Amino acid sequence: MLDLMFEYRGFIVGFIFLALIIASIAATIFGRKLIRTEKTDAVFGNPSRALGGWHWVVTGVSFILLVWIYYSWDMARAFYPKSANELCQIAKLDFAVNPIRSVFPLDNEYLRSTTLLKREKEQLNNLENEVNNLELSEEAQAHAEETIQLMRSALKSLTSSEFLDSETVNKLAVVESQIKEITNNLTKEGYPGEPSAEQVKLAESQERWGDTGNEIPLHPSSPRGYKFDAVAKEMKEVSREFGRIKNNNSTFLSQVDELKDRIAIFKEVIKSSKSSDKALADKQVDFSKTLRRVLQRIDDGLIFPPQSMEGIQAALVGLEKEKNNQQGGLGFIDSWMMPGGTIKAGTTACSEQGSGRWLPKPSDTLRTLTRISDPDIGYKGHPLLWYKQKPVSEMVDLIVPDFIAALIPGGYPQYSEDGSLSSNFKSKVYNFASGNFESFSVPVPSGHIWDSLLRVLAGLFFGIILGVPLGLFMGLSRFCKGFFDPLIELYRPVPPLAWAPLILTIFGIQDDGKIFLLFMVAFAIMVISARTGATGTQLSKIHAAHSLGASSRQILRRVILPNSLPEILTGIRIAIGVCWGTLVAAEMLAGTTGIGFVENVARKQSDYEIIWTTIIILGLLGLIFDLIMRWVINKVIPWRGKG
Amino acid sequence: MKPIKNILKYASTIAIAGSLASTAVADVNVAYFLEWATPNQVAKVEKTYDKVLGEKVNWINFGSGGAMTEAMLAGDIDISFSQGLAPFVNAVNANAPIKMVGIAVAYGAADDCIVSGKSGISKANAAELEGKSVAVPLNTMADFGFRMTMRHLGVDINKVTVVDQEPADGAVSLVDGAVAMACGYGENSLSKMKEAGKPMLTSAEKKAAGITSFDIISVTDKFAQEKPEALRRFLEVTHEANAEFAEDDSKIDVIASDAGLSVEKTEAQMDGFAFPTVDEQFEDYFGKDGRVATMLPFMGKMFATEAAPAKADYSTVVDTSFLK
Repeated sequence: MLDLMFEYRGFIVGFIFLALIIASIAATIFGRKLIRTEKTDAVFGNPSRALGGWHWVVTGVSFILLVWIYYSWDMARAFYPKSANELCQIAKLDFAVNPIRSVFPLDNEYLRSTTLLKREKEQLNNLENEVNNLELSEEAQAHAEETIQLMRSALKSLTSSEFLDSETVNKLAVVESQIKEITNNLTKEGYPGEPSAEQVKLAESQERWGDTGNEIPLHPSSPRGYKFDAVAKEMKEVSREFGRIKNNNSTFLSQVDELKDRIAIFKEVIKSSKSSDKALADKQVDFSKTLRRVLQRIDDGLIFPPQSMEGIQAALVGLEKEKNNQQGGLGFIDSWMMPGGTIKAGTTACSEQGSGRWLPKPSDTLRTLTRISDPDIGYKGHPLLWYKQKPVSEMVDLIVPDFIAALIPGGYPQYSEDGSLSSNFKSKVYNFASGNFESFSVPVPSGHIWDSLLRVLAGLFFGIILGVPLGLFMGLSRFCKGFFDPLIELYRPVPPLAWAPLILTIFGIQDDGKIFLLFMVAFAIMVISARTGATGTQLSKIHAAHSLGASSRQILRRVILPNSLPEILTGIRIAIGVCWGTLVAAEMLAGTTGIGFVENVARKQSDYEIIWTTIIILGLLGLIFDLIMRWVINKVIPWRGKG
Repeated sequence: MKPIKNILKYASTIAIAGSLASTAVADVNVAYFLEWATPNQVAKVEKTYDKVLGEKVNWINFGSGGAMTEAMLAGDIDISFSQGLAPFVNAVNANAPIKMVGIAVAYGAADDCIVSGKSGISKANAAELEGKSVAVPLNTMADFGFRMTMRHLGVDINKVTVVDQEPADGAVSLVDGAVAMACGYGENSLSKMKEAGKPMLTSAEKKAAGITSFDIISVTDKFAQEKPEALRRFLEVTHEANAEFAEDDSKIDVIASDAGLSVEKTEAQMDGFAFPTVDEQFEDYFGKDGRVATMLPFMGKMFATEAAPAKADYSTVVDTSFLK
């Protein structure tokens, strides 16, 4: 069933996408119509105006899903499953042309020669300013200044076209004509001819877009793909050739040789006239080193006269134009169906970059969720949510404390001389308390989700049990308020993560530490909300109860507690949300199981599908809890806001 | 209302402009680790890189190699210095456009598994770890070391409760006795672990068992294409710094303070490090049957997941042309 769905995921996603659009439009129209026809008695501000409205839920959910499907490129994959492969071939050309392209002011502001020239000139200016601070001998200073001057003229012989030698000009012209040739190849119908048998085999053997992870089929499989793949290969060679071209004209080379000699001499000079001041000597050495380094960089010969590069730049622009022309509708798919990123080629593979990378497709996420929901697969050896047979004795061990055995008088039996073991009542109690007995097994839920759920529920439970009474009494008793107020208010604003490093060393790696962290979060919220509830009780109600003869206990139970229930329940609702929020941090401390652990491990492998799966699970669990709480609130305090 | 609206309008414009400006940094951005002493930190502190490259070199410290990859993909980092093989392989499996251009550090003992003294476990009775808890930072080189050690000692990993903890946290758990063994890296964490126990295997034993590893220098494809000279110079400076340090280690205090370690800990850490020269790299690492060629597929399979399966061929992500 799943395999079949996976096979036809394109149709399914496409169908769902269209269905969602229709659903949201229909729901909107329905809503508009309802507004016009429905007669409402409630004035503005009356909360009953916000009742109902399921159709807006449809619109809202559809909208979120549509955005997700669109930005994760699931839509592109559903409607144009072959486009990624073709775009990959085009990206190969982009990748191949990039070494040349990055030299020209096409994506950057300046020609690379300009940037380099600016950089070296700045360095030379700095050096010139520094010469005076070196306290060199007159002769040496003149030597240094001349050297810098010579470097400037060396730069000039790079930038001026009159020195450019014919060999370099030829090489540049060759690159230019090769790029033009490639552009020409692009225009040819059916270039480079029929694919070889090997190519066809490769194309057929590769999997579809996204069959495994984020893989995009690498080998070309369409006429357009073959063409771009072929020209990308040619372009790669051209780029390599271009990378080897150096502006090594004879004037420049002789200048460099002279400069090398001069710097060597200068080095000797400062060595011989070693200054007694160490700081100054260091400065001089540093100066000569910097001279050498600037020369090294100039010696790369990457600066060309601007005119000499114009031809290649024009050829590149032509290539770009032809590329856009040839890719046709793919350009539209790239910019409109794959928003927030594009498909890029690397040395080994094509990959989705941008939102396609970090926002996994809903269909893939669902598949991952289904896969790890399988209890046999799970994640890192634990299922997401399943059951396992657990002997009752283990639970007895957990619940019954071991020390009850110590309370029974007498000692533990020893073995007799023939080595046989006996038992007495005390040892039997100990065996029972430590769960060391044969027992039947019962199924118990287990897995990452269950573990996280237990931690949250336990933290919440203790938070409510301890927080609500304390909050109520803080609202009612001067002592409680005065005594606990500073404590609670001091720790409440501290973010739970700040406690995390301490929790580890106090509680260790077991569940108690994580539960305590969650408890701390829930506790503060419960105290505050119970206290607000208690102090917010209408005085007239308390007075009425009192004059009817109620005792303090009765007032607390019958008047104050019910009256503070709305605040307490709202507090629980908030506490649940914050507990889920803290859970990931708590499980980061010492992860063995839990949703937070799954996310932390997936994060280190950049496994975005798993990460989004956990985000969705957390979101759904939070939603379920909130729905339960809403139901509880409606049942328990239906009178809220109507008193 | 109107002035508020205007202020909001300007604020958002400035924010957008700021975010655009911050993406267009022209400098060279390098990722590195703290608590990881390497000779090139002298060059880093003395700004030799900046001078030789003629550009501003920004060093940004990271907590894990995985985070380095993320930053490289986001375009904020050009070079990752001393990225672990494990995160690199994970990134390659996930089709990230990055490649390896050299070896930064080779080490045997820099990541280690320390058994607590209380547990009474040593390599003689290592199987007793089964059923006990072990702190491991998952999907790092320490994880690799852990798996290899367990395999060498014949311990079934599936029966060991693996607790995912950063080395610093793992050290705390080991000292508290919450775990029987902790694996990690970083000299501060390791020396804290060693207060509570001793290494499962000595470095000589690890070497004999083939459990040595190395960290690499990785770059984005884009950087390698657009600034090959800068990359070449970067590697040159690194090797010069290594050579200078090999001759004269008087500047160890510079390294120590930059790494955030004491001088003694730096010395202890660097004793376990080797910084292969270019010739050694070509001889031992990048040869046809060199360590890179054997380790990459091995680790690729080890860390492969459903979403990021192992590659058939890892040689294409290795580019030694910048070393020459």
